[in-house]
Parts: sequence; C-alpha cells; structure tokens
Amino acid sequence: MNDYVLEMNGITKVFPGVVALDDVTLKVKRGVIHALIGENGAGKSTLMKVLNGVYTQTSGSLILEGKELELHGVRDAQEKGISTIFQEFNLINSLSVAENIFLGRYLGKGHIDWKKINANAKKLIESLGFNFDVTKPVGRLSTAEKQLVEIAKALSYQAKIIVMDEPTSSLTKNEIEIFFPIIKKLKEDGITIIYISHKLDEIFQICDMVSVLRDGKLVGESFVKDTSREKIIEMMVGRAMDAEYPPRTVKPGETVLSVKNLSRGSTLNNISFDLRQGEILGIAGLVGAGRTELAEAIFGADPLDKGSIEIYGKPVSIRSTREGKMNSIGMVTEDRKETGLVLDTTVTKNITITKLDAVKKGPIIRKGMEAKVANEYVEKLNIRTPSIYQTLLNLSGGNQQKVVLAKWLFSDVEIMIFDEPTRGIDIGAKYEIYCLMNTLTEQGKSIIMISSELPEVLSMSDRLLVMHKGEIKGELTGQDMTGDKVMELVIE
Amino acid sequence: MNQKRFIDVVRNNGIILVILLLIIVTGIIERNFLTFNNLLNVLRQVAVVGIVACGMTYCIIGGAFDLSVGSVVSLAGVITILNINAGVNEYIAVLYGLMAGVGVGVINGVLISLIDGRSGEAFIVTYGMQVVVASIALFPSNGLFIAGRVSEGFFKSLGQGVMPIIIFLGIAAIMEFSLKKTKYGRVMCFIGGNMDVAKMSGINIKLNRISYFAISGLLAGLGGVVLCSRVTSSNPTAGLNYEMDVIAAVVVGGTEMSGGSGSVMRTVIGAVIMGVMSNALNILGITAYHQQVVKGIIILIAVAMDILNKQLKLKEMAHDKVFA
Repeated sequence: MNDYVLEMNGITKVFPGVVALDDVTLKVKRGVIHALIGENGAGKSTLMKVLNGVYTQTSGSLILEGKELELHGVRDAQEKGISTIFQEFNLINSLSVAENIFLGRYLGKGHIDWKKINANAKKLIESLGFNFDVTKPVGRLSTAEKQLVEIAKALSYQAKIIVMDEPTSSLTKNEIEIFFPIIKKLKEDGITIIYISHKLDEIFQICDMVSVLRDGKLVGESFVKDTSREKIIEMMVGRAMDAEYPPRTVKPGETVLSVKNLSRGSTLNNISFDLRQGEILGIAGLVGAGRTELAEAIFGADPLDKGSIEIYGKPVSIRSTREGKMNSIGMVTEDRKETGLVLDTTVTKNITITKLDAVKKGPIIRKGMEAKVANEYVEKLNIRTPSIYQTLLNLSGGNQQKVVLAKWLFSDVEIMIFDEPTRGIDIGAKYEIYCLMNTLTEQGKSIIMISSELPEVLSMSDRLLVMHKGEIKGELTGQDMTGDKVMELVIE
Repeated sequence: MNQKRFIDVVRNNGIILVILLLIIVTGIIERNFLTFNNLLNVLRQVAVVGIVACGMTYCIIGGAFDLSVGSVVSLAGVITILNINAGVNEYIAVLYGLMAGVGVGVINGVLISLIDGRSGEAFIVTYGMQVVVASIALFPSNGLFIAGRVSEGFFKSLGQGVMPIIIFLGIAAIMEFSLKKTKYGRVMCFIGGNMDVAKMSGINIKLNRISYFAISGLLAGLGGVVLCSRVTSSNPTAGLNYEMDVIAAVVVGGTEMSGGSGSVMRTVIGAVIMGVMSNALNILGITAYHQQVVKGIIILIAVAMDILNKQLKLKEMAHDKVFA
C-alpha cells in the first residue's frame, strides 16, 4: 500500500497537431494541499480536464485509491470523488444555496424533499464553520460565500479530491484570510486539495507540495518547505530570472497632466494630483477605493462633476472617451474581456480600432496598411499568435493583454492609464509588460498605473498615491514606498 | 480538407440551400417559374422589403433592433401622397416622406442611446414608437385609403418598371461597401460586438448609434415612398407587420441577431429568397394561410442554424485554444 490518494501515470494528451501533455506523472498524497503551477499554456488546465472527466487522455492511467479510474464527464468524476471548483463558479444565481448544492439530486422519493435538502445544505455550510440562510438565492452572496457553496457542493458528493482553479483570484484580502482556514480544515478532514494558482505567496503560505508544469511536461516537484520562490520561478519560466521587476531608469520631467479638486458623485471626492512626463505614477488602494472610477473620470468614460483637468498646462474639458483620446489619454481597462477587446474579432481589427484614420486612404480602410500595423505590434510586443487574422478567443490571457496594450500604443497617446495591467497573466508576460512600460516612459510617455498587487506598484512606480474611499490619503515617494506605509494610510 | 470546406459551406448557407432546392423543384414542376420575367417580378415585389431590410441590417449589426419600420413605411407614404395632393412639388413631397422616416429614427436613436440601451431596450423603445407612429399615420385620413392625384413624373417613376430594383440594389451596394470597407462600418461592428469595448476605445458611441436608427428610418421612409408610388395611393396600414418580413429577410440572409457582424449583401439574398419562396408557393397553389406556416418554419430554421453554428464555432475555438 502506498499513501497516494491519486496517481496520474504517464498522462499524454494529443490534440490534432499538438501534444498538450507529454507523459506527465503526478502523484498526490492523501490529505495534502498540492499546488500545481505553470505559465499559461503549460498544460495545467488540460491536466485538470483529464482529471475531472472533460477530456480522455491519449495514453496513461488514472488511479484513485489504488483502483484504476475511467471517467465519463464532470458529473461522473464528481460522483467518484473528484470535484472541481472553477475560477468562474458553476452556480446558478437565481437558485437558492441549497438548490445549487443539490442541483439535479432531489432527495426524496417521487417528490422534492425541500426540508431535507435545506437541512442537509445547512449542515454542510455549518461543517465549514459558517452559518447563513441556505434558502437565499446565490446571486445575492458575496464571491467568498459563493466559493463556500462550491465547497459545500463538493463535500455533498463526498469528495476525496477537490481541484481549485485560482480560488483567490476574485477574493479580497479579508476574504482570503477567511478562505485559508477553511481549506486547512478540509485538509485536516482528510480531503486532498489540488491548488492551481499564479500567486506564489499563497503557495508558500498554505501548500505542502508543489508540482510545476512547463510546455506540457512535469519539470519539477518538491515539498514546499524545501524550495524557494526563485527556484519555482526558474522552473516555470525555464531560465533564471534576474528579477521579477526591471529597474526604473527614467527621470520624470515636466508636468503633463494636472488634476485639480476632481469630484464625481459619491465615489470620488476632491482629488488633486500631477503626472509628470516619463513618470509611472502608481495608485494603490483596496478594491472599491475609487481607483478605476478616477481613471474613468479622467479618460471621459464617466465624466467628472466638479474639478478641472489640465494637460500641458492647458485646461481641457473631457466629456467622453472620444474627447479623452483627442486629448491624448488612453486607458488599458481592468477587464480585457468586458471592456478591453472584442474577443470574437481578429487581432488586427482590435489593434487598429483606436486610430482607424491611420490605416485608410480616402474613405477606404486598406487591408495592407492594417496588416503592416498589426505585424509591427505583434513583433514589437512579442504577441504569440498563429496569424494577425486570428480571433482573440484563441489567444492566452497574456497575449490578449498585449493586444490591449498594442491598441493604445498604436493610438499614440501621450498619457496612458493602466488599470490592473497584469491581472491573470503569467510571470513571463508580466515581465514583458513591465519592460514595455519602461520603454514607453523612455520615449516620453507618461503612465498612471493602478494595481492591487502591492509588490508590483511599489516596484514599478516612481511615486505612489494611496486611495481610500474615494479620496487620496497620501503620496509616497522613495524610501517611504513600502507595503507597511500603504497599509497605514489605508487603515487610517 | 475538401470535405471540411463542403461542410462549412452547408453550415453557413444551410437555409439558402434548402430554398434553392425548393426553387429547383418548383422550376421542374412549373415551367413559368424560372423565367426572366417572373424573376424580375419577384425582385420588384421584394424591393420594398429589401430596402427597409438594408437599414435593419445596420441596426442589428450595431447591436440593436428597429421594430418601428413598419409604421414608418405607412407614415412616409401618407405624408408623401398628402403633400402631392396638396400641390407641393413632388421632389419636396418625397423629401418630406423621407424626413419623417429620419425623424422617427433619430428619436429612436436618441432615446435608446440616452438610456444606454442594448437590444432588449431597443426592442421596447422601437415597439413603443411603432405603436405611436402607426396611429399618427391614421390621423390625416381617418384611417382611409388616399388616392394620389398624379399620373407621371419623378414620384411616379420611383415605383415603376425596374426602378425599385435599381434603388434596392444600389442602396445595398453602397451600404455593403460602407460596412466592409470604411471606418464607419468597422466602428459599427465594434459597437455591435461589444459596446463597452467600443466606448473604452474612445469611440463616440451615441452619435454612431443614432445614425443606425436614422438610416433605418430613412430607408423605411424610402420603402414607404416606393410602395405608394407603385400603387399611386397611400394606405395608412400599408406597412403593417412589415418589420417582421424585414427581420426575416435579415435573419434568413444570415446576419447574426447578436450583432457585431453581418452583411447587407446577405440580406439582399435573404429578401430575394423570401420573395422567391412565396412566389414558388403561389405557383404551387398553396394558400396564403399555409404559406405563413412555411414562412414561419423557415425563419425558425434560420435562427436555429444561427445558434447551432455559433455553438459549434465556440466549441471549435475552445478546442483550438489548447494550441495557443
């Protein structure tokens, strides 16, 4: 007898023309939190889809508790004890908590036994150490509570293994602090967790084992306590990284943008600051502090009520995004799927949209001119795509993000607002984006960078504004730019 | 590879192929069907629906809807005929008819872009407009038919001979060109594809959206003018249920209801197909009531194919993603 709850032996998955997984062997011990990491496209999701029954492996075997396993779909995997909690939850917002947990399994004979369903759901939620109304529709729950419902659902299937895909990506800092004890408790109850995350800090905080995938192969496996951040990054990227952040070299020049006493509704209150040429001005703060709202007010998406904006010393009126762009302001939005890109359109069309005038002769958009522009940016930003006419849906997150950047680079605006520019993309792509920000500022462009990742804003900004509840609580420079100082300002 | 291409052709043009089959069968049964004269006749019959459908195509690609077009067809006809009968210069009279259409379109567009409406809101707003405009068209003549006091000239020529066909195809060609080749068309696809993305790309969404409704109104007005020119009279309920035929032409042509992509040329094909089909059913001696059933089924099939196609595409994309 070995103590592995799950063995994935020599898993190979071939899609026409590509080997997505190449002889991956992953052995997971019972009752551990096992991290699975790797850059986008490394094969994590394919491996997990083999494990939860979405894909069938081309070769190799799955062994659960010593018995060979054959899976037919997600439901089958769930019933056999392997549950997956996807990043975008698999819950129906209009149904109650209890209904979601027991969806499709109406306990009772010939009728739906609501009493039993609700009682069982309540028991499951309580077993996790929480207590809330299980008859409430899921749509009214917070993200953290939704996650609890997902976990309860997994438990209701007597899950032996729970796969969690980026479980903390949409949780706030406080919610994460509540979430970690829950998964530790699951572990104590003997449930094995496969934890997929981009956030290395978390892995060191709660995981026991870590396996690293790269290009469809398993490139390393270790106890978390025996490894280091640098070693893991090196395994993921395949080469030693000198640093996670490139050094800043630009000396900021004259003031290009000056915001004075800006207010909007109840979200922004009397905000003033300057942005200088070649500067990266960071804006830190908690989610909901008003950072995105500030950016949108400056860009014209949601114009200001009170206050003024000056660009190169001249007062300007920006009432729409079009006027924002005309005043040389661009905004890389926080959510590339919702507001950054039309995903079912090509790379080329998404890049040229910000300055179509530059790719037309007379009234006609010239395909050749567009292609030239697209090729230029694909090369410059190292966007990995089979073709400039590829639909964006087929690109990885990091490459999609580069297309968002490309579209604003092409528009040739002087002031760029980057709202969470590296959200959900892997370390390699992040580094490329940081380097790009440096290059831009070297060329005289100025950047406002909003980010929830403190290390990122601290390392990349020349100056840091800290926002809280719609106000600027303070400005940090030089030696004062530390995480502690930021938290002090936020906590008051 | 060839097999795959064949499947693609069938998938993208399924409904058209089905109707082609119907045409061939009818042609074999009835010699008179596939004659030049009959086909010209069909084209003339579909010209009005086709002109209006070109405008609707813009609305749908731009992520909206225009249910008011039927009423506008009626109103434009009534206004034009009333003015001509009152002795107004016929060019000016026609212009009034068109302006009524543009006016309704602009009101639609302003209302919808003011509330930042999506296709759901557009549905409601333009439906409300349809009801209002329909009753306005009834006022001047108390709902009665008005005979036009004109027998020749510019106005009369609009609905005669091949003129409706020339207007229809000419407009379609210009609109297809603008859609595929100009900035205006590209922006339309972005607004319809994802309005928030278009906004955050620094595009003036409001003005562009108003223009789609204005064009739709203008062409509905033009459709109304051509229609009443053909019969030299106006009927205040001439455009009743027109919007449905118009939307059917767009959908059968293959423009997706979700917006962001499509083609005016395909709408032309859609309109012609609907016309040919009803002509074929007539020739085969199928009654009007039964024809409605067939028409409805064809629309349902078109929509179903549209949805199936999209799901298949998404599936293929999810599959392709592994390669990226």
